[in-house]
Amino acid sequence: MKEIILNEETKKTLLSIYKNKGIGLEGNILKVINTSDDDEFKDYINTCINDDKNRRIKRLEVTKKVQTQNLDLQSAKDEIERINEELKKSLDETNKAKELAEYDLDILQKKSQYQLINTIVNVALVVIVGVGILTTLMYMITMFSGKDTQIIASAWTNTISILLTNAFSIVGTIMGVKYLQEDNKKN
Amino acid sequence: MIESILLVDDEDLFHLVFEDACSLLDITLNLTSVSSSEEAEELFKQWFNNKIKKPACIFVDLNIVGSSFDGIEVIRKLNFEYGDEVVAGIISSSDEEEEQARAIKAGAQFWIIKSDEIEPRLEEFKRDYEDYENRTKSFKVYK
Repeated sequence: MKEIILNEETKKTLLSIYKNKGIGLEGNILKVINTSDDDEFKDYINTCINDDKNRRIKRLEVTKKVQTQNLDLQSAKDEIERINEELKKSLDETNKAKELAEYDLDILQKKSQYQLINTIVNVALVVIVGVGILTTLMYMITMFSGKDTQIIASAWTNTISILLTNAFSIVGTIMGVKYLQEDNKKN
Repeated sequence: MIESILLVDDEDLFHLVFEDACSLLDITLNLTSVSSSEEAEELFKQWFNNKIKKPACIFVDLNIVGSSFDGIEVIRKLNFEYGDEVVAGIISSSDEEEEQARAIKAGAQFWIIKSDEIEPRLEEFKRDYEDYENRTKSFKVYK
């Protein structure tokens, strides 16, 4: 490789700048400067080469450290993204489970309500039919015993007419409850 | 010492590592670094048209992020489209045999595993360089 041969004046200037201001040459150019015929200048170039080497070693260490840190940061970022993704999936699954539980609870509540209505309707039917039978029995006893039937006759007529009127409403309610229960079973 | 080297690598920090390692190990005094395959191909075109001087050796990263083709393709183009006078190889953290087989087909002469301790591998490469230049050395992986 070609070498740079500096003249005496340039060498003196370089040495003077280094001695007075501490500024020396640096970089790969130092490796191609011819120093064979001047010991002082050779020392100067060697010092500059060593300084440059030390700077490079330091920079290399720092750069490698930064590189490693960058890799660690990238790995941490990837890990965070992976965890976020998992959390998102878990949240979605939890929301679905919550919706399902709410739906089941709603069905359960409705079922209890229908059962309660059913019971009320059954009890009401028993009471109404019981009252009808009782009034009819009382009316028949009064008729066969030959006593005055005016009051019991009007009471019986009233009871039967109320029963007939309400019977349709009761039957309608029963049908409605049964229809809803069947619909629930299907769902 | 290698007359001149071209490094193709998307990681700017590695440019600094490589430059300092080359200087400390006296591998070369003339290093050019580019960050993409496209920039590398642009340089190949300029060499091909004799606009600039070819480097003596090329180190190419395997996966060059942000480039339209990978390091092996860079070497294939270099060897098959722009002449094969340059010593070229891959410098990568990958050690996959399949990729190394691809690299051999593309004309790569060496494969250097990139890691924190790259200096010993570069030193070994420096010792082998003359054989690569003379085309007397077969493909080698520096681990």
